[in-house]
Order: sequence, then structure tokens, then C-alpha cells
Amino acid sequence: MSQSASRPLLIDCARMQLRVIGALIIREMHTRFGRHRLGYLWLFFEPLLLGTMIAVIHQVRGTDGIRSNFEFFAIGYILFFNFRGIVNRASGTIGANRGLLYHRQVTLPDLFYARHLIESIACTGVMVVFVFAAVAMGGEFPDSPVKMLASMGLMFLLAQGLALMIGAATSEWDGLERFVHAMSYLMLPFSGLFFMVDWLPEWMQEIVLWVPTVHIFELLRDGQFGDTYRPVYDLSYVAGWILVPHLLGLAGLRLVRNRLGLE
Amino acid sequence: MALELIGIEKSYPMNVGRKHVLRGVNAVFRKGERVGVLGRNGTGKSTLVRILGGVEAPTRGTIRRSMSVSWPIGMAAGFQPALSGADNSRFIARIYGRPAKETVEFVESFAELGEYLNMPVHTYSSGMRSRLGLAISLAVEFDCFLVDEALAVGDTKFGRAFAARLQRAGLILVTHQPSLVRQLCNRAAVLDQGTLTFYEDIDEALATYNSL
Repeated sequence: MSQSASRPLLIDCARMQLRVIGALIIREMHTRFGRHRLGYLWLFFEPLLLGTMIAVIHQVRGTDGIRSNFEFFAIGYILFFNFRGIVNRASGTIGANRGLLYHRQVTLPDLFYARHLIESIACTGVMVVFVFAAVAMGGEFPDSPVKMLASMGLMFLLAQGLALMIGAATSEWDGLERFVHAMSYLMLPFSGLFFMVDWLPEWMQEIVLWVPTVHIFELLRDGQFGDTYRPVYDLSYVAGWILVPHLLGLAGLRLVRNRLGLE
Repeated sequence: MALELIGIEKSYPMNVGRKHVLRGVNAVFRKGERVGVLGRNGTGKSTLVRILGGVEAPTRGTIRRSMSVSWPIGMAAGFQPALSGADNSRFIARIYGRPAKETVEFVESFAELGEYLNMPVHTYSSGMRSRLGLAISLAVEFDCFLVDEALAVGDTKFGRAFAARLQRAGLILVTHQPSLVRQLCNRAAVLDQGTLTFYEDIDEALATYNSL
């Protein structure tokens, strides 16, 4: 195995990794949005449009007002949007950046981290805009913005762990990619976006609480509405869902890196 | 300061069994040496370059790197094809901790790309790509430049400017063109059947290579 004669200090490695991730973020922004400035706007419009549509449907069915529906669904949708954006992009990450692996300080996880950070920063920005939009429409300021941000952070980490695993797995088995896309849509009704656990009958509560995103949505609503609903969540369960996929994903990427030819 | 290979072996899995590309390569490249590695097509030149550059792990053996070695500079290596030459220069400058602006300025004055500097790299000819790669690597500055069959280093205006700039730094040039080795190198080796043999005399290396 390769080694350097004088081992670099950990702090130098950390600094180099930050430099690489920073450069990758700038590069990724260029490739994704560089030629079309509208790309940045689309980042806002997609969750806005879908969230508002869901709010309107619920309005027509006569539950609650449009404003509280907007707060519940549009803001909730951003969280799901972040999750899906990270997970669905995972399978293309290695292929799209292969040429960059010719620089030995660029590692496979760096490619993923850069993409996930872009996605999450954008979604956090959209969330802030939506919160202020809701207040402008006459809503109340969130009970705990910190809890809302924490839910965004947890969603980012949960999606990241899964994305690392998916990235490693799809580079070995191509067919898996379609399965991942289908799954990310199929899980929408069970994600926790459309309900509070408290609204469900007891037997269903036990089932949906196996889904990690449900806990994260409950935390979001706790931050948004405080005592209005009775949120149910267990963050240590979510932590497990973050740690185990990270370990498996990073180990998988290590194996993949050694097997990966550089054409 | 050197780059050292000790007992490097590399094999790839095939449908049946494994293909052994390198079978025990030992070498020391010291700082300031300009070494030409000659090999016929399919002898594992590119594999050797990637292992020297630290972007592919050997199956067995040890690499010791106590000088800065560039990435394997070739026609395709290290670029994002959809981005312009200037954007690629900036990216590479950033990951090596170099100022982005000065790097682009250097590339602009050195690589002779003209308007193409702001065009996507996939529109480049192979000669332009290799000029871009070499120019960026010169801007970043390494103790040793690792060059894989770059077209642009031949006897062209750019090639002569590149050779002039190399006088202070080291070079490992992997190629199948004996004329390039004669032009740029002061030491030569031949890669054949998975092993690397060094010759102190370049003519002797070329003679061996030509008889293969």
C-alpha cells in the first residue's frame, strides 16, 4: 500500500479536505447552474409549487385554512425534497466526477459531501423564505426555529448516509439505480410529510415509527407549531439510522475506490 | 527527495482468472531527474502512471513519496469536460491550494488556447487538452511532473517552452515515442512484460526498446 515518508498531520489533512470540498461545491454549482441562471430559481419553485398544490388540495377538501396548510405541507415538503434530492443523485455522483479522481486528494466521499451540502444549503434557504412568507400571510412565528433547523440537519445526515451506501452499491450494480428512484417516490406517503403520528390509530403509529423520516418530520412540526400538535419522536433511533449507513457507505466506497478503473 | 516503488504488482480481475499487468516493479525517481519510460502499447504504461500518481492502488508493494508529484497529466486526465478550460484551471488551483486568478492568467499566457480558454473542454482537440493540462500543472508547480503520452510536449513551440521550464524540476514521461525521450530526458527505462528496466545510457535504452 502507498505511504508517504513523512506522515502529514491530521490538521493538514482536514484543511486539504475542506479545500477540496469547497472547490467541488463551486464546480458543481457551475456545472448545474452555470449556463442557466434560472436553475437557481427552479430550486425555489419546485418545492413552492408542489407544496402549494398539496396545500390547495387539502383546502378544497375543507380541512383547515390555506395558511396552516401552506405551513404544514409546503414547509414539510422542503424537507422531503432535500432527502429525495440527495438520495436520487447518489447513483450518478461517481460517474459524473470520474475525471477528477486523477487528483489524488479528491476522494469519493468528498464528491458526495459537496453535492449534499449544496442541496441542504439551498433547501435551508428555501425553508427560511417560506417561514417568512407564512408569517407575512398572517401566520405565527415558529415556536422553535432551532428545532426546525435541527430537523433539516438530521434529514441531511440521514440522506447522506443512505446516499453513500447507494453510491457505493450502484457503482457495482447499475440496475439498482431505478429501484432507488422508485423507492424514493413510493415512500412519500409513509415519510411523515402528510400526517402527525398522533392522528393515526395506535396500530399504525407503531408501524410508521419504524420509518426514520417520520421522527424527523415530527421534530420539524414540534419546532413549527409547538403545543398545537402532540409530536412523537425518538432522536436516538434517527442517530442509529445516520451512523450505521455512514459506516457501511464509507467502507463500501473504500472498496469501490480500489476497484475503480480510471479509463 | 524521491518517489520510490518497491515490489509493485498490479493485476486486474478478468472473466477467467486475473490479468497481471505489473509483476514486481522497483524504481527510484529522484528530484530533478528527467526519466523517460518507454513501453509498447498494452504493456501497462498507463497503469504504471496511475500508480505513480497515487490515484490507483497497487495489488501488492509499497510506494514512498517524499516529493510533490503531479497528477498523471495526459489528454483526458483530471478535467471536467463540460466546464471551460478556465473553470478547470480554477478548480485544480483550488484543490492544490493555489490562487485561482493567477493560475488562469498563467494558463492564458502559456497554453496558447486563445478563445478556447472559455469554451468547454470537450470541444478541445487532444493537443489542446494536453497543453491545458501541462500549463495548469506548471502553474501549480511540482517537484516532479508525471506525463502520460502528452502530444503537446513534442517539437513544437509549446513543447520547447515546456522543456525550458522543466530545467529545474523533475519529469517522469511515459511514452512510446523514442524521440520525446531523447529530447526531454536524461535517464531512460523500458517497461516490458510487467517489469521496468533502467538504463544509464539513453541510447542503450532506445536500442533495447527498438528491438522489442
